[in-house]
Amino acid sequence: MAGVSRRTFLGRGSLAVAAAGVLSAVPGLSGLIGAAETEGPAADATVADGTAASLTEPLVAHVRDISTGEISVFNGTREVILRDPQLANRLLRAAR
Amino acid sequence: MSSHREAPEISKDPVADSTDLYAFVSPDEPDTVTLIANYVPLEGPDGGPNFYEFGEEVLYTINIDNDADGQAEIVYQFRFENHVTNPGTFLYNTGPVQSLTDPNWNRRQTFSVTRVDIDGGRTTSTVLGTELACPPCNIGPLSTPTYPALAAAAVHSLAGDVRVFAGQRAEGFYVDLGSIFDLGILRPFEQDHATFGLQGTGIGQMAAGVNATKALNVHSIAIQVPKEQLTANGRAPSQVSSANSVIGVWTAAYRQKVRVHDDDGGHVWAGPYVQVSRLGNPLVNEVLIPMGSKDYWNSQAPAGDSRFASFFSNPQLAQLLPVLYPGVFPKLAAYNAGPPAPNRADMVAILLTGIPAGLIPGFQNFTGTTQADLLRLNMAIAPASNPQNTGLLGNDVAGFPNGRRVFDDVVTIELRALAGAVLSLVDPAFTPDGAAGAIHQGLTSGPSDVAAMGTENYLNAFPYLGIPHSGFSVPAA
Repeated sequence: MAGVSRRTFLGRGSLAVAAAGVLSAVPGLSGLIGAAETEGPAADATVADGTAASLTEPLVAHVRDISTGEISVFNGTREVILRDPQLANRLLRAAR
Repeated sequence: MSSHREAPEISKDPVADSTDLYAFVSPDEPDTVTLIANYVPLEGPDGGPNFYEFGEEVLYTINIDNDADGQAEIVYQFRFENHVTNPGTFLYNTGPVQSLTDPNWNRRQTFSVTRVDIDGGRTTSTVLGTELACPPCNIGPLSTPTYPALAAAAVHSLAGDVRVFAGQRAEGFYVDLGSIFDLGILRPFEQDHATFGLQGTGIGQMAAGVNATKALNVHSIAIQVPKEQLTANGRAPSQVSSANSVIGVWTAAYRQKVRVHDDDGGHVWAGPYVQVSRLGNPLVNEVLIPMGSKDYWNSQAPAGDSRFASFFSNPQLAQLLPVLYPGVFPKLAAYNAGPPAPNRADMVAILLTGIPAGLIPGFQNFTGTTQADLLRLNMAIAPASNPQNTGLLGNDVAGFPNGRRVFDDVVTIELRALAGAVLSLVDPAFTPDGAAGAIHQGLTSGPSDVAAMGTENYLNAFPYLGIPHSGFSVPAA
Protein backbone atom coordinates (compact mmCIF):
# COMPACT_ATOMS: atom_id res chain seq x y z
CA MET A 1 0.00 0.00 0.00
CA ALA A 2 3.02 2.26 0.14
CA GLY A 3 2.46 5.28 -2.02
CA VAL A 4 -1.26 4.67 -2.33
CA SER A 5 -2.99 7.09 -0.05
CA ARG A 6 -6.51 6.52 1.00
CA ARG A 7 -7.82 9.46 -1.00
CA THR A 8 -5.99 8.62 -4.21
CA PHE A 9 -6.94 4.99 -3.78
CA LEU A 10 -10.60 5.89 -3.73
CA GLY A 11 -10.28 8.61 -6.32
CA ARG A 12 -8.86 6.57 -9.19
CA GLY A 13 -11.99 6.12 -11.20
CA SER A 14 -14.89 3.83 -10.56
CA LEU A 15 -14.80 1.14 -7.92
CA ALA A 16 -17.43 -1.47 -8.59
CA VAL A 17 -18.82 -2.38 -5.21
CA ALA A 18 -20.02 -5.95 -5.39
CA ALA A 19 -21.00 -6.29 -1.78
CA ALA A 20 -21.01 -3.66 0.86
CA GLY A 21 -21.73 -3.47 4.54
CA VAL A 22 -20.48 -6.89 5.52
CA LEU A 23 -21.98 -7.35 8.94
CA SER A 24 -19.87 -8.32 11.84
CA ALA A 25 -20.55 -11.67 13.44
CA VAL A 26 -20.67 -10.11 16.89
CA PRO A 27 -24.10 -10.50 18.48
CA GLY A 28 -25.54 -7.09 19.13
CA LEU A 29 -22.56 -5.30 17.71
CA SER A 30 -24.62 -3.11 15.45
CA GLY A 31 -25.08 -0.75 18.35
CA LEU A 32 -21.35 -0.19 18.43
CA ILE A 33 -20.83 0.05 14.72
CA GLY A 34 -23.61 2.45 13.88
CA ALA A 35 -25.42 3.18 10.69
CA ALA A 36 -22.61 2.29 8.33
CA GLU A 37 -23.16 -1.39 8.99
CA THR A 38 -26.72 -1.23 7.83
CA GLU A 39 -25.87 -0.39 4.25
CA GLY A 40 -27.28 -2.86 1.78
CA PRO A 41 -25.47 -4.09 -1.31
CA ALA A 42 -24.75 -1.17 -3.62
CA ALA A 43 -24.24 -2.49 -7.11
CA ASP A 44 -21.82 -0.52 -9.28
CA ALA A 45 -21.67 2.34 -6.85
CA THR A 46 -19.06 4.92 -7.67
CA VAL A 47 -17.12 6.58 -4.91
CA ALA A 48 -15.80 9.87 -6.26
CA ASP A 49 -14.07 11.03 -3.15
CA GLY A 50 -13.73 9.61 0.30
CA THR A 51 -16.28 11.74 2.04
CA ALA A 52 -18.59 8.86 2.94
CA ALA A 53 -15.88 7.05 4.82
CA SER A 54 -14.09 8.05 7.96
CA LEU A 55 -10.99 10.16 7.56
CA THR A 56 -9.86 9.53 11.09
CA GLU A 57 -9.37 5.78 11.03
CA PRO A 58 -7.00 3.54 9.09
CA LEU A 59 -8.00 2.24 5.68
CA VAL A 60 -6.56 -1.12 4.70
CA ALA A 61 -7.05 -3.03 1.47
CA HIS A 62 -6.50 -6.78 1.21
CA VAL A 63 -6.33 -8.21 -2.30
CA ARG A 64 -7.78 -11.64 -1.69
CA ASP A 65 -7.67 -12.98 -5.23
CA ILE A 66 -5.74 -11.23 -7.98
CA SER A 67 -7.46 -13.24 -10.71
CA THR A 68 -10.98 -12.19 -9.75
CA GLY A 69 -9.99 -8.80 -8.43
CA GLU A 70 -11.58 -9.49 -5.06
CA ILE A 71 -10.44 -6.86 -2.60
CA SER A 72 -11.50 -6.43 1.02
CA VAL A 73 -11.37 -2.81 2.12
CA PHE A 74 -11.34 -2.25 5.88
CA ASN A 75 -12.16 1.08 7.49
CA GLY A 76 -13.23 1.56 11.06
CA THR A 77 -15.34 -1.45 11.85
CA ARG A 78 -16.48 -1.90 8.25
CA GLU A 79 -15.38 -4.30 5.55
CA VAL A 80 -16.38 -3.70 1.96
CA ILE A 81 -15.64 -6.33 -0.65
CA LEU A 82 -14.86 -5.11 -4.15
CA ARG A 83 -14.37 -7.03 -7.38
CA ASP A 84 -12.12 -4.93 -9.57
CA PRO A 85 -9.35 -6.84 -11.42
CA GLN A 86 -7.88 -3.64 -12.82
CA LEU A 87 -7.56 -2.08 -9.38
CA ALA A 88 -6.18 -5.30 -7.98
CA ASN A 89 -3.52 -5.33 -10.67
CA ARG A 90 -2.66 -1.69 -10.07
CA LEU A 91 -2.20 -2.45 -6.37
CA LEU A 92 -0.03 -5.42 -7.24
CA ARG A 93 2.16 -3.24 -9.46
CA ALA A 94 2.36 -0.62 -6.72
CA ALA A 95 3.56 -3.24 -4.25
CA ARG A 96 6.45 -4.33 -6.47
CA MET B 1 -7.06 -27.39 30.99
CA SER B 2 -10.68 -26.39 31.00
CA SER B 3 -10.21 -24.17 28.00
CA HIS B 4 -6.78 -22.70 28.65
CA ARG B 5 -4.66 -22.56 25.49
CA GLU B 6 -7.04 -25.13 24.02
CA ALA B 7 -6.52 -24.33 20.35
CA PRO B 8 -3.40 -23.49 18.35
CA GLU B 9 -4.30 -19.93 17.36
CA ILE B 10 -5.81 -18.69 20.61
CA SER B 11 -2.94 -20.15 22.61
CA LYS B 12 -0.84 -17.36 21.07
CA ASP B 13 -3.29 -14.64 22.14
CA PRO B 14 -3.70 -15.00 25.93
CA VAL B 15 -5.69 -11.84 26.61
CA ALA B 16 -8.43 -13.06 24.28
CA ASP B 17 -8.26 -16.68 25.44
CA SER B 18 -11.33 -17.64 27.46
CA THR B 19 -10.35 -20.17 30.08
CA ASP B 20 -13.44 -20.89 32.17
CA LEU B 21 -17.07 -19.90 32.33
CA TYR B 22 -19.27 -20.13 35.39
CA ALA B 23 -23.02 -19.60 35.74
CA PHE B 24 -24.86 -20.28 38.99
CA VAL B 25 -27.60 -19.02 41.23
CA SER B 26 -25.74 -16.86 43.74
CA PRO B 27 -25.71 -18.80 47.02
CA ASP B 28 -25.86 -15.66 49.16
CA GLU B 29 -28.16 -13.72 46.82
CA PRO B 30 -30.48 -16.43 45.48
CA ASP B 31 -32.62 -13.96 43.54
CA THR B 32 -29.64 -13.34 41.31
CA VAL B 33 -27.44 -15.27 38.92
CA THR B 34 -23.68 -14.83 38.80
CA LEU B 35 -21.87 -15.16 35.49
CA ILE B 36 -18.06 -15.29 35.43
CA ALA B 37 -15.92 -15.42 32.30
CA ASN B 38 -12.21 -15.94 32.85
CA TYR B 39 -9.48 -14.89 30.45
CA VAL B 40 -5.65 -14.75 30.40
CA PRO B 41 -4.59 -18.28 31.33
CA LEU B 42 -1.82 -19.41 33.63
CA GLU B 43 -0.74 -16.10 35.12
CA GLY B 44 2.39 -16.47 37.19
CA PRO B 45 1.70 -14.21 40.19
CA ASP B 46 5.22 -12.73 40.05
CA GLY B 47 5.05 -11.87 36.36
CA GLY B 48 6.26 -8.26 36.52
CA PRO B 49 7.04 -5.60 35.67
CA ASN B 50 4.35 -5.85 33.01
CA PHE B 51 1.73 -7.50 35.13
CA TYR B 52 -1.29 -9.08 33.51
CA GLU B 53 -4.26 -7.15 32.21
CA PHE B 54 -7.19 -7.45 29.82
CA GLY B 55 -6.74 -6.72 26.13
CA GLU B 56 -7.50 -3.12 25.30
CA GLU B 57 -8.48 -4.01 21.74
CA VAL B 58 -10.49 -7.10 22.62
CA LEU B 59 -14.26 -7.00 22.82
CA TYR B 60 -15.32 -9.40 25.57
CA THR B 61 -18.88 -10.69 25.78
CA ILE B 62 -21.07 -12.85 27.98
CA ASN B 63 -24.03 -14.05 25.94
CA ILE B 64 -27.39 -15.37 27.10
CA ASP B 65 -29.84 -17.41 25.07
CA ASN B 66 -33.19 -17.41 26.84
CA ASP B 67 -35.49 -18.74 24.15
CA ALA B 68 -33.74 -21.97 23.17
CA ASP B 69 -32.61 -21.00 19.68
CA GLY B 70 -28.87 -21.06 20.35
CA GLN B 71 -28.71 -17.32 19.60
CA ALA B 72 -28.08 -14.54 22.09
CA GLU B 73 -31.01 -12.46 23.21
CA ILE B 74 -28.87 -10.66 25.78
CA VAL B 75 -25.22 -9.71 25.39
CA TYR B 76 -23.08 -8.10 28.05
CA GLN B 77 -20.16 -6.36 26.37
CA PHE B 78 -17.00 -5.38 28.21
CA ARG B 79 -14.34 -3.00 26.85
CA PHE B 80 -11.11 -2.10 28.62
CA GLU B 81 -8.92 0.98 28.53
CA ASN B 82 -5.38 1.43 29.81
CA HIS B 83 -4.19 4.50 31.68
CA VAL B 84 -0.50 5.21 32.26
CA THR B 85 0.30 7.86 34.84
CA ASN B 86 4.02 8.20 34.15
CA PRO B 87 5.43 6.76 30.93
CA GLY B 88 8.90 7.76 32.10
CA THR B 89 9.28 4.86 34.52
CA PHE B 90 9.44 1.13 33.92
CA LEU B 91 7.55 0.48 37.11
CA TYR B 92 3.98 -0.81 37.37
CA ASN B 93 3.80 1.08 40.65
CA THR B 94 6.16 3.61 42.17
CA GLY B 95 5.13 2.96 45.76
CA PRO B 96 2.45 1.16 47.72
CA VAL B 97 -0.94 1.08 46.00
CA GLN B 98 -3.50 1.69 48.71
CA SER B 99 -6.52 2.79 46.72
CA LEU B 100 -7.85 2.47 43.19
CA THR B 101 -6.87 6.10 42.57
CA ASP B 102 -3.48 5.94 44.25
CA PRO B 103 -0.97 7.99 42.20
CA ASN B 104 1.65 5.34 42.95
CA TRP B 105 -0.21 2.98 40.62
CA ASN B 106 1.31 3.69 37.24
CA ARG B 107 -0.56 1.40 34.85
CA ARG B 108 -4.21 0.81 35.50
CA GLN B 109 -7.30 -0.31 33.59
CA THR B 110 -10.87 0.83 33.53
CA PHE B 111 -13.75 -0.81 31.75
CA SER B 112 -17.22 -0.23 30.42
CA VAL B 113 -20.24 -2.53 30.48
CA THR B 114 -22.97 -2.42 27.87
CA ARG B 115 -26.04 -4.62 27.79
CA VAL B 116 -27.42 -5.35 24.34
CA ASP B 117 -30.92 -6.76 24.03
CA ILE B 118 -31.72 -8.49 20.76
CA ASP B 119 -35.32 -8.98 19.75
CA GLY B 120 -35.42 -10.43 16.30
CA GLY B 121 -33.57 -7.98 14.10
CA ARG B 122 -33.85 -5.12 16.58
CA THR B 123 -31.11 -4.40 19.06
CA THR B 124 -31.14 -2.06 22.01
CA SER B 125 -27.90 -1.07 23.70
CA THR B 126 -27.80 0.18 27.25
CA VAL B 127 -24.56 1.40 28.77
CA LEU B 128 -24.56 0.12 32.33
CA GLY B 129 -21.26 1.62 33.40
CA THR B 130 -18.17 3.44 32.17
CA GLU B 131 -14.74 4.15 33.59
CA LEU B 132 -15.16 1.40 36.15
CA ALA B 133 -11.90 0.65 37.90
CA CYS B 134 -10.19 -2.73 37.79
CA PRO B 135 -8.03 -3.63 40.77
CA PRO B 136 -4.27 -3.94 40.34
CA CYS B 137 -2.61 -7.31 40.22
CA ASN B 138 -1.62 -8.72 43.60
CA ILE B 139 2.10 -8.00 43.68
CA GLY B 140 3.17 -8.30 47.29
CA PRO B 141 3.19 -6.79 50.78
CA LEU B 142 4.99 -3.61 49.73
CA SER B 143 3.15 -2.87 46.50
CA THR B 144 -0.37 -4.03 47.39
CA PRO B 145 -0.41 -4.20 51.19
CA THR B 146 -4.20 -4.06 51.52
CA TYR B 147 -5.12 -6.22 48.56
CA PRO B 148 -8.49 -7.58 49.77
CA ALA B 149 -9.71 -4.02 50.39
CA LEU B 150 -8.44 -2.90 46.99
CA ALA B 151 -10.25 -5.73 45.27
CA ALA B 152 -13.44 -5.14 47.26
CA ALA B 153 -13.43 -1.52 46.12
CA ALA B 154 -13.44 -2.77 42.54
CA VAL B 155 -16.85 -4.43 42.95
CA HIS B 156 -19.17 -1.93 41.32
CA SER B 157 -22.91 -1.59 41.87
CA LEU B 158 -24.76 -0.57 38.73
CA ALA B 159 -28.31 0.42 38.01
CA GLY B 160 -30.85 -2.37 38.19
CA ASP B 161 -29.17 -4.09 41.13
CA VAL B 162 -26.41 -5.37 38.88
CA ARG B 163 -22.94 -5.87 40.31
CA VAL B 164 -19.79 -6.21 38.28
CA PHE B 165 -16.11 -6.90 38.82
CA ALA B 166 -13.25 -7.24 36.35
CA GLY B 167 -9.74 -8.04 37.43
CA GLN B 168 -7.27 -10.59 38.70
CA ARG B 169 -8.43 -13.58 40.72
CA ALA B 170 -6.94 -16.82 41.97
CA GLU B 171 -7.46 -19.59 39.46
CA GLY B 172 -10.42 -21.63 40.63
CA PHE B 173 -10.27 -24.45 38.13
CA TYR B 174 -8.28 -27.43 39.32
CA VAL B 175 -6.76 -30.26 37.34
CA ASP B 176 -3.89 -32.73 37.48
CA LEU B 177 -2.77 -31.62 34.08
CA GLY B 178 0.56 -33.39 34.05
CA SER B 179 -1.15 -36.70 34.63
CA ILE B 180 -4.06 -36.40 32.24
CA PHE B 181 -2.08 -35.15 29.29
CA ASP B 182 0.61 -37.78 29.70
CA LEU B 183 -1.42 -40.05 27.47
CA GLY B 184 -4.38 -40.21 29.80
CA ILE B 185 -2.98 -41.38 33.13
CA LEU B 186 -6.09 -41.55 35.30
CA ARG B 187 -6.66 -42.34 38.94
CA PRO B 188 -7.45 -44.79 40.50
CA PHE B 189 -6.32 -47.31 37.90
CA GLU B 190 -3.08 -45.74 36.73
CA GLN B 191 -1.33 -49.04 37.35
CA ASP B 192 -3.57 -50.63 34.71
CA HIS B 193 -2.46 -48.26 31.92
CA ALA B 194 -1.28 -50.13 28.85
CA THR B 195 1.84 -47.88 28.82
CA PHE B 196 2.41 -48.60 25.13
CA GLY B 197 4.70 -51.42 26.15
CA LEU B 198 7.04 -49.18 28.13
CA GLN B 199 8.54 -50.71 31.26
CA GLY B 200 9.52 -49.03 34.52
CA THR B 201 7.52 -45.89 33.90
CA GLY B 202 6.79 -45.41 37.59
CA ILE B 203 3.20 -44.42 37.01
CA GLY B 204 2.02 -47.25 39.21
CA GLN B 205 3.31 -45.35 42.21
CA MET B 206 1.44 -42.08 41.68
CA ALA B 207 1.09 -40.01 44.80
CA ALA B 208 -1.76 -37.66 45.56
CA GLY B 209 -2.99 -35.46 42.77
CA VAL B 210 -1.05 -32.41 41.69
CA ASN B 211 -3.15 -29.33 41.06
CA ALA B 212 -1.41 -27.73 38.12
CA THR B 213 -3.15 -24.40 38.66
CA LYS B 214 -2.92 -24.05 42.42
CA ALA B 215 -0.38 -21.19 42.36
CA LEU B 216 -1.69 -19.38 39.30
CA ASN B 217 -4.00 -16.45 38.70
CA VAL B 218 -6.45 -15.50 35.99
CA HIS B 219 -8.43 -12.44 34.95
CA SER B 220 -12.16 -12.61 35.66
CA ILE B 221 -15.13 -10.71 34.31
CA ALA B 222 -17.93 -11.28 36.80
CA ILE B 223 -21.44 -9.91 36.70
CA GLN B 224 -24.32 -10.58 39.08
CA VAL B 225 -27.77 -9.98 37.66
CA PRO B 226 -31.30 -10.34 39.09
CA LYS B 227 -32.83 -13.44 37.54
CA GLU B 228 -35.77 -11.64 36.01
CA GLN B 229 -33.38 -9.60 33.89
CA LEU B 230 -32.26 -12.79 32.15
CA THR B 231 -35.53 -14.57 31.41
CA ALA B 232 -37.46 -14.39 28.16
CA ASN B 233 -40.66 -13.21 29.83
CA GLY B 234 -39.02 -10.82 32.28
CA ARG B 235 -40.33 -12.67 35.30
CA ALA B 236 -38.32 -14.44 37.97
CA PRO B 237 -38.28 -18.19 37.33
CA SER B 238 -40.08 -20.31 39.88
CA GLN B 239 -40.89 -23.61 38.17
CA VAL B 240 -38.07 -26.04 37.44
CA SER B 241 -40.13 -27.55 34.65
CA SER B 242 -40.65 -24.23 32.86
CA ALA B 243 -38.66 -23.36 29.75
CA ASN B 244 -38.58 -19.80 31.07
CA SER B 245 -36.30 -20.99 33.87
CA VAL B 246 -33.47 -22.12 31.62
CA ILE B 247 -30.79 -19.94 30.09
CA GLY B 248 -27.86 -20.92 27.90
CA VAL B 249 -24.64 -18.98 28.47
CA TRP B 250 -21.41 -18.61 26.59
CA THR B 251 -18.56 -16.16 26.50
CA ALA B 252 -16.79 -14.98 23.39
CA ALA B 253 -13.95 -12.61 22.57
CA TYR B 254 -13.59 -10.63 19.39
CA ARG B 255 -10.86 -8.74 17.61
CA GLN B 256 -10.97 -6.55 14.55
CA LYS B 257 -9.93 -8.37 11.41
CA VAL B 258 -6.82 -6.38 10.54
CA ARG B 259 -3.81 -5.35 12.58
CA VAL B 260 -1.00 -3.39 10.96
CA HIS B 261 2.28 -2.97 12.79
CA ASP B 262 3.86 0.44 12.37
CA ASP B 263 7.58 1.07 12.24
CA ASP B 264 7.52 2.90 15.56
CA GLY B 265 6.24 0.04 17.71
CA GLY B 266 2.64 1.09 17.39
CA HIS B 267 -0.11 -0.57 15.47
CA VAL B 268 -3.54 0.12 14.06
CA TRP B 269 -6.67 -2.00 13.81
CA ALA B 270 -9.31 -1.97 11.12
CA GLY B 271 -12.36 -3.90 10.01
CA PRO B 272 -15.29 -5.61 11.66
CA TYR B 273 -14.97 -7.65 14.81
CA VAL B 274 -14.57 -11.38 14.39
CA GLN B 275 -14.83 -14.05 17.04
CA VAL B 276 -11.47 -15.47 18.11
CA SER B 277 -12.47 -17.37 21.24
CA ARG B 278 -15.59 -18.87 22.75
CA LEU B 279 -16.52 -21.05 25.65
CA GLY B 280 -19.69 -22.65 26.93
CA ASN B 281 -19.10 -25.97 28.65
CA PRO B 282 -15.65 -26.75 30.01
CA LEU B 283 -13.30 -29.04 28.11
CA VAL B 284 -15.31 -29.13 24.88
CA ASN B 285 -12.79 -27.58 22.52
CA GLU B 286 -10.02 -28.95 24.70
CA VAL B 287 -10.97 -32.60 24.61
CA LEU B 288 -13.76 -33.22 22.11
CA ILE B 289 -12.86 -31.10 19.11
CA PRO B 290 -9.97 -32.48 17.02
CA MET B 291 -6.84 -30.50 16.29
CA GLY B 292 -7.80 -29.68 12.74
CA SER B 293 -11.08 -28.07 13.80
CA LYS B 294 -10.13 -26.25 17.01
CA ASP B 295 -9.43 -22.85 15.48
CA TYR B 296 -12.53 -23.13 13.32
CA TRP B 297 -14.59 -23.99 16.40
CA ASN B 298 -13.39 -20.85 18.11
CA SER B 299 -14.53 -18.73 15.16
CA GLN B 300 -18.07 -20.13 15.00
CA ALA B 301 -21.26 -19.22 16.82
CA PRO B 302 -22.81 -21.93 19.02
CA ALA B 303 -26.03 -22.04 17.00
CA GLY B 304 -24.16 -23.87 14.24
CA ASP B 305 -22.69 -26.56 16.45
CA SER B 306 -24.63 -29.35 14.77
CA ARG B 307 -21.76 -29.40 12.30
CA PHE B 308 -19.58 -30.68 15.13
CA ALA B 309 -22.14 -33.14 16.53
CA SER B 310 -20.19 -36.26 15.58
CA PHE B 311 -17.43 -35.27 18.00
CA PHE B 312 -20.01 -35.38 20.79
CA SER B 313 -21.96 -38.47 19.71
CA ASN B 314 -18.80 -40.54 19.27
CA PRO B 315 -16.08 -38.88 21.36
CA GLN B 316 -12.53 -39.97 20.67
CA LEU B 317 -11.66 -40.13 24.38
CA ALA B 318 -14.51 -42.58 25.01
CA GLN B 319 -13.00 -44.76 22.32
CA LEU B 320 -9.52 -44.48 23.83
CA LEU B 321 -10.36 -45.33 27.44
CA PRO B 322 -10.79 -49.10 26.91
CA VAL B 323 -7.66 -49.13 24.76
CA LEU B 324 -5.53 -47.30 27.32
CA TYR B 325 -6.93 -49.41 30.15
CA PRO B 326 -7.42 -52.96 28.89
CA GLY B 327 -10.03 -54.79 30.94
CA VAL B 328 -11.01 -51.76 33.02
CA PHE B 329 -13.91 -50.61 30.83
CA PRO B 330 -15.25 -53.82 29.27
CA LYS B 331 -18.82 -52.58 28.93
CA LEU B 332 -17.73 -49.36 27.30
CA ALA B 333 -15.47 -51.35 24.98
CA ALA B 334 -18.40 -53.50 23.92
CA TYR B 335 -20.58 -50.44 23.40
CA ASN B 336 -17.90 -48.79 21.30
CA ALA B 337 -17.46 -51.90 19.18
CA GLY B 338 -21.18 -52.06 18.37
CA PRO B 339 -23.28 -52.82 16.54
CA PRO B 340 -24.99 -50.45 16.50
CA ALA B 341 -22.42 -47.70 16.06
CA PRO B 342 -21.86 -45.56 19.15
CA ASN B 343 -24.39 -42.79 19.58
CA ARG B 344 -23.64 -40.97 22.79
CA ALA B 345 -26.95 -39.21 23.24
CA ASP B 346 -25.90 -38.62 26.84
CA MET B 347 -23.00 -36.39 25.80
CA VAL B 348 -25.16 -34.63 23.22
CA ALA B 349 -27.76 -33.91 25.88
CA ILE B 350 -25.29 -32.75 28.53
CA LEU B 351 -23.33 -30.47 26.24
CA LEU B 352 -25.43 -29.57 23.19
CA THR B 353 -29.16 -29.55 24.03
CA GLY B 354 -29.51 -29.73 27.78
CA ILE B 355 -31.06 -32.60 29.70
CA PRO B 356 -34.77 -33.06 29.02
CA ALA B 357 -37.35 -33.57 31.73
CA GLY B 358 -38.02 -37.15 32.76
CA LEU B 359 -34.44 -38.42 32.88
CA ILE B 360 -33.50 -37.06 36.32
CA PRO B 361 -36.30 -36.57 38.84
CA GLY B 362 -37.02 -32.91 39.47
CA PHE B 363 -34.55 -31.64 36.92
CA GLN B 364 -34.32 -30.38 33.38
CA ASN B 365 -32.23 -27.83 31.57
CA PHE B 366 -33.37 -28.67 28.07
CA THR B 367 -33.31 -25.94 25.47
CA GLY B 368 -34.80 -27.77 22.52
CA THR B 369 -33.29 -29.53 19.57
CA THR B 370 -30.94 -26.77 18.46
CA GLN B 371 -27.50 -28.17 19.13
CA ALA B 372 -25.27 -25.53 20.69
CA ASP B 373 -22.46 -25.70 23.22
CA LEU B 374 -24.01 -23.56 25.95
CA LEU B 375 -23.62 -23.70 29.70
CA ARG B 376 -27.27 -24.27 30.59
CA LEU B 377 -28.61 -23.14 33.92
CA ASN B 378 -32.04 -23.84 35.33
CA MET B 379 -32.40 -20.74 37.47
CA ALA B 380 -35.41 -22.09 39.38
CA ILE B 381 -33.19 -24.58 41.19
CA ALA B 382 -32.07 -23.18 44.52
CA PRO B 383 -28.45 -23.29 45.66
CA ALA B 384 -27.60 -26.57 47.33
CA SER B 385 -27.46 -26.69 51.12
CA ASN B 386 -24.97 -29.56 50.90
CA PRO B 387 -23.17 -29.01 47.61
CA GLN B 388 -21.29 -31.82 45.92
CA ASN B 389 -18.31 -31.08 43.70
CA THR B 390 -19.49 -33.84 41.41
CA GLY B 391 -22.63 -31.83 40.66
CA LEU B 392 -25.38 -33.71 38.95
CA LEU B 393 -23.41 -36.96 39.17
CA GLY B 394 -23.50 -36.51 42.94
CA ASN B 395 -27.27 -35.88 42.91
CA ASP B 396 -26.66 -32.17 43.40
CA VAL B 397 -28.88 -30.60 40.76
CA ALA B 398 -27.51 -27.12 41.49
CA GLY B 399 -24.12 -28.10 40.08
CA PHE B 400 -22.54 -28.82 36.73
CA PRO B 401 -23.88 -29.49 34.17
CA ASN B 402 -26.69 -27.37 35.57
CA GLY B 403 -24.60 -24.27 35.12
CA ARG B 404 -21.26 -24.43 36.83
CA ARG B 405 -20.09 -23.29 40.26
CA VAL B 406 -16.54 -22.27 41.04
CA PHE B 407 -15.80 -25.44 42.99
CA ASP B 408 -17.37 -27.99 40.66
CA ASP B 409 -14.88 -30.73 39.71
CA VAL B 410 -15.69 -30.52 36.04
CA VAL B 411 -12.75 -32.69 35.00
CA THR B 412 -13.94 -35.61 37.08
CA ILE B 413 -17.57 -35.08 36.04
CA GLU B 414 -16.80 -35.02 32.33
CA LEU B 415 -14.33 -37.92 32.49
CA ARG B 416 -16.90 -40.05 34.29
CA ALA B 417 -19.55 -39.05 31.78
CA LEU B 418 -17.29 -39.85 28.83
CA ALA B 419 -16.58 -43.23 30.43
CA GLY B 420 -20.30 -43.95 30.33
CA ALA B 421 -21.37 -43.19 33.91
CA VAL B 422 -24.70 -41.70 32.80
CA LEU B 423 -25.14 -43.33 29.40
CA SER B 424 -27.80 -45.60 30.87
CA LEU B 425 -30.07 -42.56 31.30
CA VAL B 426 -30.61 -42.49 27.57
CA ASP B 427 -29.73 -46.10 26.75
CA PRO B 428 -31.30 -48.36 29.41
CA ALA B 429 -29.68 -51.39 27.81
CA PHE B 430 -26.25 -50.12 28.78
CA THR B 431 -24.77 -50.92 32.18
CA PRO B 432 -21.91 -48.62 33.18
CA ASP B 433 -18.54 -50.04 34.13
CA GLY B 434 -17.77 -49.68 37.80
CA ALA B 435 -14.61 -47.86 36.81
CA ALA B 436 -16.62 -45.06 35.20
CA GLY B 437 -17.86 -43.84 38.55
CA ALA B 438 -14.50 -44.32 40.23
CA ILE B 439 -12.44 -41.90 38.17
CA HIS B 440 -11.06 -39.07 40.28
CA GLN B 441 -8.26 -36.54 40.15
CA GLY B 442 -6.91 -37.02 43.63
CA LEU B 443 -7.47 -33.33 44.27
CA THR B 444 -10.42 -33.47 46.64
CA SER B 445 -11.05 -35.48 49.76
CA GLY B 446 -14.45 -36.49 48.43
CA PRO B 447 -17.59 -35.20 46.73
CA SER B 448 -18.48 -32.84 49.58
CA ASP B 449 -15.05 -31.17 49.49
CA VAL B 450 -15.68 -27.77 47.95
CA ALA B 451 -12.30 -26.30 48.78
CA ALA B 452 -10.08 -28.32 46.50
CA MET B 453 -6.33 -28.38 46.86
CA GLY B 454 -4.89 -24.98 46.14
CA THR B 455 -8.27 -23.30 45.81
CA GLU B 456 -9.06 -22.92 49.47
CA ASN B 457 -9.57 -19.22 48.99
CA TYR B 458 -12.93 -19.34 47.21
CA LEU B 459 -15.12 -16.55 48.53
CA ASN B 460 -18.62 -16.91 49.91
CA ALA B 461 -19.73 -13.73 48.20
CA PHE B 462 -19.38 -12.02 44.83
CA PRO B 463 -17.11 -12.43 42.90
CA TYR B 464 -16.63 -15.86 44.53
CA LEU B 465 -13.24 -16.60 43.01
CA GLY B 466 -10.55 -15.95 45.56
CA ILE B 467 -8.05 -13.21 46.23
CA PRO B 468 -5.28 -13.67 43.65
CA HIS B 469 -2.02 -15.22 44.73
CA SER B 470 0.60 -12.64 45.60
CA GLY B 471 3.72 -12.50 43.47
CA PHE B 472 5.87 -12.14 46.59
CA SER B 473 4.28 -15.07 48.38
CA VAL B 474 3.88 -17.45 45.49
CA PRO B 475 6.95 -17.36 43.29
CA ALA B 476 7.11 -19.38 40.12
CA ALA B 477 7.63 -23.07 40.67
